[in-house]
Amino acid sequence: MDHAYVEEHEIVDRYVMGTLPAAESEPFEHHYLSCPECLDRLALAEAEQRAFKRLARQEAEKLAAARQLALVAWLARLGRSRQAAVLAMALLVAVLLPWGLAVRRIGQGERELARAGAALEQERQQERQRAAAGSRKAAEAALEASRRELAAERQARAAAAAELARAREPQSNVPILFLNAERDAAPAGAPTVRLRLPRAPGWIVLALEIDPPHQPSYRATLRDAAGRQLWRGAGLRLDERDSLSLTLPSTLLKPGDHTLAVEGLAPGAKPVAAGRFAFRVLPPA
Amino acid sequence: MSSKAGPAPGEAHEPDIAADLVRRIAAGDPAAEAALIERYSRGLLYLLRRLGAPPELAEDFHQETFRIALERLRRRGLDEPASLAAFLHGTARNLVSAERRKTARRRTEADPEGLELAVDGAPRPLDTVLLDEEANIARRLIGELASDRDRQVLLRFYVAGEDRASICADLGLDSLHFSRVLFRARQRFQELHRRFERRQPARTAAWTV
Repeated sequence: MDHAYVEEHEIVDRYVMGTLPAAESEPFEHHYLSCPECLDRLALAEAEQRAFKRLARQEAEKLAAARQLALVAWLARLGRSRQAAVLAMALLVAVLLPWGLAVRRIGQGERELARAGAALEQERQQERQRAAAGSRKAAEAALEASRRELAAERQARAAAAAELARAREPQSNVPILFLNAERDAAPAGAPTVRLRLPRAPGWIVLALEIDPPHQPSYRATLRDAAGRQLWRGAGLRLDERDSLSLTLPSTLLKPGDHTLAVEGLAPGAKPVAAGRFAFRVLPPA
Repeated sequence: MSSKAGPAPGEAHEPDIAADLVRRIAAGDPAAEAALIERYSRGLLYLLRRLGAPPELAEDFHQETFRIALERLRRRGLDEPASLAAFLHGTARNLVSAERRKTARRRTEADPEGLELAVDGAPRPLDTVLLDEEANIARRLIGELASDRDRQVLLRFYVAGEDRASICADLGLDSLHFSRVLFRARQRFQELHRRFERRQPARTAAWTV
């Protein structure tokens, strides 16, 4: 260890302060055993440290003493009764301090409770928001479904309007089916009257011969071969020829046998069978 | 303080000096024994104090260390003559450690002799005067500094025991400025301390090395 190293690494000051590690302090100790220069430097470093520490201690003691003197001087300026009050206050503080600390702890507990309550309320609010968000989603889904239904409704209306428009136009070669009532209750064999469906949707007229006694009004029920009701109309009246004619859209009929049951209706009376009419529908040519 | 890297011109290296002393003492040279004591006496006393030897026993340990060393050197010398300082160091440390162990046993055995040897930790009145004067030197030194930052350097280094790196980092100093402040403070302190010493009568102060 040479003096350049000692100076560069502040070996002397660190050794005196006790912060030099053993790996460096022992070699330094070997060195200074025979080095008057380092021993002088060590003495000076110790004196410096002693001096500054003693200075700091003296200043601290002066400050503490000054504060005590200031307090005593202030007390001395007070009247007797006030001095007693100050001392009583000091005593009260000494007694109340533990109580005050307990109160503070309680206060801390209450604050913690309030914080927990606030956190719970916040959690509830977030839950309500989530629920509202859920409701909003449900409402939005319902709205979307309504929009789809409306769109479908508009499409259907448009189709119906188109069909009505077609229906209002003059039509040619409208199939007319003249039907007589079946005489047998359970007729055998296929219906003899046949109707071929038009290629394009259109109207079909069914002209029904109704036997007397005639009724004020009639009810007609159209069924397919399986007995499913396809249409029912009531309040039907005979024309001047005592016939009943029905104009049906061709789309109502499907290839297969069909029956049309007609009942006479009189006020206050039960319906009376006025005839059963059968026909076979053929697919378009 | 000199910061030269090696021995001064004309002065030999410590290992060479030590090896020469060991050889001469083994050869029976009394002058070498006196030279050994003269060379290492002051450093050994300081070391014993740093190792924690009680002040009243430091002189005894000092003499005992040299007695042990000379006996050894006369009889068989050292395996490594150049490491004479290390040998003295080890001997001194062993003496202090042994005394420390003996003192610890005394505490549990209620040794009256040990009680008599107990030292009052308070400084002697004369020492108090010297210590106060040192503090005054430090106060004057601080007052002479123009910069509060330089005052901070000295107080934090000497009183708080902070290291250079943390002081420089906190105060925004570079290492060179730190070294300059410390060097100037040290020089001024030494100057004021010497003036004080010249004014004082001769004394047996325990605080000098």
